[in-house]
Amino acid sequence: MSWVVLAMLLVPFCSAALTLWIGHRSEVTSRGVAVGGSALGLVLVVVVAAGHLGDAVPLTHVFVSTSAAVEPIGLAVHVDPLSAVLLLLSATVAFLVQVYSLGYLADDPRYPSYAALVAVFTGAMSTVVVADDLWLLLVGWELMGACSYFLISHHWELAEARAGAVKAFLITRTADLGLLFAILLLGARFGSYRISEILASIQQQALPRDDLWLPALLLTVAVTGKSAQLPFHTWLPDAMPGPTPISALIHAATMVAAGVFLVARTYPVFVSAPTVLTLLASIAAATMVLGALYALFTDDLKRVLAWSTVSQLAYMFGALAVGAWSAGVLHLLAHGAFKALLFLSAGSVVHAVGSTSMGRMGGLRGRLPHTFLAMTLGFGALAGIVPLIGFFTKDAVIAGALEQARHGRLVWPWVSWALVVAMILTALVTVAYSLRAWLLVFFGKGTGPGTADSVHESPWSMRVPLYLLMVPTALGGFLVFKPAAVLGPQHHESLVHGAESVVMTGLVVVTAVVVLLLWRRRGRQMWPHVVLPHPPVDVVWDRGLVRPVGWLSRVVRAGERDVVEAYADGAGASARGLGRLLRLTQTGNVQTYLMVVVVGAAALAVAAGTVS
Amino acid sequence: MSWVGLLFWLLAAVTVGSALLVVTTRNLVHAALWLVVTLGAVAGVYLLLAAEFVAWVQVLIYVGAVVVLVLFALMLTRAPTGPQPDLTAARILPAAVVAGLVAVLLGATVVAGFHDVRIDLDAAVVGSAEVTGETLFRRWVLPFEVLSVLLLAALVGAIVLSRLREDDLDGLERRRDGEA
Amino acid sequence: MPLWWPLLLASLLFAIGVYGVLVRRNAVLVLMGVELMLNAVNINLVAFDAHLRDVLHGGQTLALFTIVIAAAEIGLALAVVLLVFRTHGHIDLDRLRSLADRDGLDELDQRGPRLDHRGAR
Repeated sequence: MSWVVLAMLLVPFCSAALTLWIGHRSEVTSRGVAVGGSALGLVLVVVVAAGHLGDAVPLTHVFVSTSAAVEPIGLAVHVDPLSAVLLLLSATVAFLVQVYSLGYLADDPRYPSYAALVAVFTGAMSTVVVADDLWLLLVGWELMGACSYFLISHHWELAEARAGAVKAFLITRTADLGLLFAILLLGARFGSYRISEILASIQQQALPRDDLWLPALLLTVAVTGKSAQLPFHTWLPDAMPGPTPISALIHAATMVAAGVFLVARTYPVFVSAPTVLTLLASIAAATMVLGALYALFTDDLKRVLAWSTVSQLAYMFGALAVGAWSAGVLHLLAHGAFKALLFLSAGSVVHAVGSTSMGRMGGLRGRLPHTFLAMTLGFGALAGIVPLIGFFTKDAVIAGALEQARHGRLVWPWVSWALVVAMILTALVTVAYSLRAWLLVFFGKGTGPGTADSVHESPWSMRVPLYLLMVPTALGGFLVFKPAAVLGPQHHESLVHGAESVVMTGLVVVTAVVVLLLWRRRGRQMWPHVVLPHPPVDVVWDRGLVRPVGWLSRVVRAGERDVVEAYADGAGASARGLGRLLRLTQTGNVQTYLMVVVVGAAALAVAAGTVS
Repeated sequence: MSWVGLLFWLLAAVTVGSALLVVTTRNLVHAALWLVVTLGAVAGVYLLLAAEFVAWVQVLIYVGAVVVLVLFALMLTRAPTGPQPDLTAARILPAAVVAGLVAVLLGATVVAGFHDVRIDLDAAVVGSAEVTGETLFRRWVLPFEVLSVLLLAALVGAIVLSRLREDDLDGLERRRDGEA
Repeated sequence: MPLWWPLLLASLLFAIGVYGVLVRRNAVLVLMGVELMLNAVNINLVAFDAHLRDVLHGGQTLALFTIVIAAAEIGLALAVVLLVFRTHGHIDLDRLRSLADRDGLDELDQRGPRLDHRGAR
């Protein structure tokens, strides 16, 4: 089986190279190669994942290893149910995105590089998910960040695309320093860079409480950066100028979920440092409310979805922080499915209307029936409407938080209560903004093309992925009833809590009614238009990090120019000066030369005479 | 001091004096003429040192040919007659110092090396034509032939160098016209 | 006579020749200095021949050879002097400085400005 894992890791990269190479010659063939490679990757993933779900024995294998360092570093993989479900999620969404992009980027001349980068990204995500060696994980992690940068700036002629790409890359890279130092600390502490070995050591030794607070804190920094939580949350909405399939793949389903995955994977490290879990819970509480509020007031469809992603990721972190591991992971899977569905349908809308601003949309349900259905299911799942998958997983999360607040000992009590309140509040705001977006896009009359003839449904290549994603969105909820079937025997907690679900559903209905009334009463301007301020965090980053670095780089450049280059120039100048001095002897006058010769000969004669 | 020594000192004085005049006089043609005197005095020194043939060859070639050549060159290069103020460059002092240095060096070496050595002129073989000819054509015949080749090379070289070419002619004519 | 008398004479004549070569501005006068130096060498050779009285008569023979070479040399040298006169119109050695290493290189200096890290001025 291990060679299948290796093949699964290598196929995306080979597919990327092949797509690029062929793309120069024939674009049509490169499309076939890209989709075919992605399909092959999906098949391999299914083979690997199917063998490791539920109570299957996890696979640990080392392909190559070097002990050039004291602790060996190598290509080590560990496939357990967590890796399996995430492999399935990322490979499926990646394949659907590749198919979708056939239609979305039908006229784009940069398709080969785009498809190659998506394939590289898929390979990197697989690497992160199955990596057992921390350095291998870091390589995949950084590679994902690089692909994200390239793909956001796919339309690099747009200034906001370039700016968004740079912002995303810099913020996530800065946060990744946390991961680097965490790896070094863990390696030094446990004498090994293998995740399985480190986790086994933690579980065997009885470590004092908060002993591993520093690695856990550094990991928290890294995941908050990658998953766009406070205070690193500003890059995700600004990454929206990238193509919509990319937003679906990277910024909804997979890369930003990698942060949640890392916490889930290294969970014992966090559990042994509950203070950091409290910090994580506080960050999650703040972020989920903030994200939801931003989504409530923004007018750009993709930005609504981006802030919604930030908010939902906070839900997952909240779940993990309070010990509801299965709930968090299942919400991750659910969110991956319905957010990808939402983004891809949004892409369909944008493709039809030609703009992402909701002001230019309206009354599209007649013209875009398939997209309407897909987006309805997506928003429903996001809002947590029964019986869609979002309802089940979100309720599992809230129930888990409630459980911790009442009986748990991991997180400080008032923080866990605050988290519960934030979760409930966010759920209601989520309903509000989802409903608003749904109404603004598909109902009423906007200033956009609306029912104009030019508005038409997207091609089949864009619709098929929507249909396929609708299936888990609608039916996946039943997974919640038996998490052990998927996640392994140790995760057998019950995730269905009847009483809380009824209360939540009631609150959701009330909120929906309020919003519908406002829609009826006030039309498209449901609540006062608030000009969203630029996030203050960005100003802090700018003043605290960007400007000092810029100043430092100017100093270094000045140092290089005025000190180092001055020495180099000085060497040249002194050589020239010396040459100028020596040139004074070349007077051109023969008699001067002769004089020198005579004196020299005399001197030599004297010297020879004294020596001998 | 014998009369040989006296004669020698006389000739030496003439040589050195006229040599000094060669290098210091302000008149170009006078320098050439003082050169004649120097070369003649040197021929006399040769005679004193029993080098008869060399002395006459000296007179013949040096005084006869070389000085005439020099005079020709002076004429062809439009040497001005009469005293010229600028025949000596400004570096008199350094040159004098260098020359003095050379003189001191050589003189001291020579005197220190040979101060108690005497030439026995009575036993000297007079370098007559017969003796010189025999030596030259028996012992030194190869260098002699090489020397004739050297002379040929010098001759050819001189002719090649001083051939008039087209542009030189124009230049000459322009200068001549300019002066006219 | 003591050997050192003619030798000293030769040294003095040589030094005077050196002075003439170094200090005179006219090329022909410089050549006269060269002739003085050659004569000094000849006196040296002849003096030693008189002292050593070897079978080969090397001193006198070499003196003859020196005279011949001096003649060849002055022939060529004067041809060069004539050529210089033709091209420059004068034979003042002080004014013949075209071999000097001056102005061309100063221009070269100014052709190399200081460049910054991007290769721009």
